[in-house]
Amino acid sequence: MNGIDYDGQEFENARKEMDKLVQDSLKGREIKPNVLFAKLSDLSKGVSGKLVNWSRVNSVWPLQFGLACCAMELMDFASSRVDAERKGFLMLRPTPRQADVMVIAGWVTKSMIPEIKRMYEQMAKPRYVIAYGECATCGGPWWESYNIIKGIDQVLPVDVFVAGCPPKPENLFGAMIKLQKKLGGDIEGR
Amino acid sequence: MALTRINIGPVHPSTHGVLRLVVDLDGDTVVDVDTRIGFLHRGVEKLVENRKYMQCPPYMEKLDYAAPLSVDELFVATVEKALGIEVKERAQYIRVVLLELQRIASHLLWLGTTCNDLGQLTTGFMWAFMDRDLVLRLLEEATGSRMFYVNMRLGGLVRDLPAGFDEHANKLLDYLEKRLPRYERFIEKNPVFIERMKGVGILSKEDALDLGVTGQILRASGVDYDVRKDNTYYVYNKLHFSSKHAVSGDNFARYKVRMMEIGESIRLVREALRTMPEGDAVGMPVKLVMPNAKNRISIVSREVPRGEELMYLVADPQSAYRLSIRAPTFINLAALRHIARGCRIADLFAITSTLDFIMADVDR
Repeated sequence: MNGIDYDGQEFENARKEMDKLVQDSLKGREIKPNVLFAKLSDLSKGVSGKLVNWSRVNSVWPLQFGLACCAMELMDFASSRVDAERKGFLMLRPTPRQADVMVIAGWVTKSMIPEIKRMYEQMAKPRYVIAYGECATCGGPWWESYNIIKGIDQVLPVDVFVAGCPPKPENLFGAMIKLQKKLGGDIEGR
Repeated sequence: MALTRINIGPVHPSTHGVLRLVVDLDGDTVVDVDTRIGFLHRGVEKLVENRKYMQCPPYMEKLDYAAPLSVDELFVATVEKALGIEVKERAQYIRVVLLELQRIASHLLWLGTTCNDLGQLTTGFMWAFMDRDLVLRLLEEATGSRMFYVNMRLGGLVRDLPAGFDEHANKLLDYLEKRLPRYERFIEKNPVFIERMKGVGILSKEDALDLGVTGQILRASGVDYDVRKDNTYYVYNKLHFSSKHAVSGDNFARYKVRMMEIGESIRLVREALRTMPEGDAVGMPVKLVMPNAKNRISIVSREVPRGEELMYLVADPQSAYRLSIRAPTFINLAALRHIARGCRIADLFAITSTLDFIMADVDR
């Protein structure tokens, strides 16, 4: 493609040579399993599962993604009155790759669905979705509109629904705490 | 020389909604900006046709969600003109008070998001939102809702101002008046802000008139046009205020005009509260059936926080036959292509944030 000739056989020979070198260097050395280390690794595996989950619960980072009116309240959620950072919901992340939870704040039009799907796919697993406000929950006042999807749950799996038009920032805070509980296993989820 | 074409949005932290920009770059100089809109289109003008008049304000409020009360009032005023209803005098004063408080809240929101776009996230955004929240709390006290108020009725309001509102409002206005110089101090002495603002995104007076921009963008270019003064409504002609304008037409002028308008609004609210007459302010009940429309066609324009918004209503007795909205943000967004040509890519979002568009208003 770029003018580089790829020779499979040559690559294979080089790999064999490398293996041989490694084998030679290990010759004469007997590797005994380290008892202490093995026990520690078992312990760490047990602990790390809980540790990972603990840190996941306590650092839910929302994505900075405002669609419509509810995005005003999403901004208020990030501002000083609600002070979301005290519970680990760090300042809204500007890129989906750093975010854990996507807050759908506003009505979802047909032309917006591919973009939302794409952003959802860009988020690292595990990823969560909060449908914030009437429009994202069920279409809200735009129920009869020809260009609106009646609820984001037709497109993405939603974890928490928040009702209201618009819900107060405190409600989003409550929804995030509910999501935390779900992550921690206090609430049964999908 | 080959141009680089990059895509920005539709989801971008600085696009204030879902706006897609296709930018042609020569190095880091913007050669052309193509604006792709329509990601929030929901057909509100069509929906209104199937609803009775007083079922519509909740839809109207979602046009300009940074200043819902202004659009609510504009729609109700249009219907009042169509049906030939006079607004009670006390209600006029209260409307002015609420509209100006809404203007303060909207400009503070603009300040916060602009600081966000220019990298002043921690201080500017937090300060502005903190103060905006206080204004919203006052509006909540007056109307019962935090964001979407639906507080207008034909001929008046849903309710009179609550007891103790004057005191709370004056307390808040005193506080805001003390805050404004602090904002100006930390913004105007901030080298990053100045670099992105002064001399960037210049729109000349002639171009501003040709492009038909309204509001602060027009006034920042040196045209002293304010609907509140030049096509006055309610009791604005009885109150003392000046419409602020600047001449340089750059980002800094647009910022400065908005900040000065907050000061003017504070003065307006104070004076309106002081000179408010006693009396009844409650409007007609929602279920009122009007026998016929007085004016078949009514056109009303108002100075909403983002410029001159205009509604054109072809009236039927019960509901709108046709409603057409001239959104100021749509017109102002159209000026982006003209302003952004020749600027640096890093300045592009300083320009978009000073144009201050609301995508729901643009797309309708």
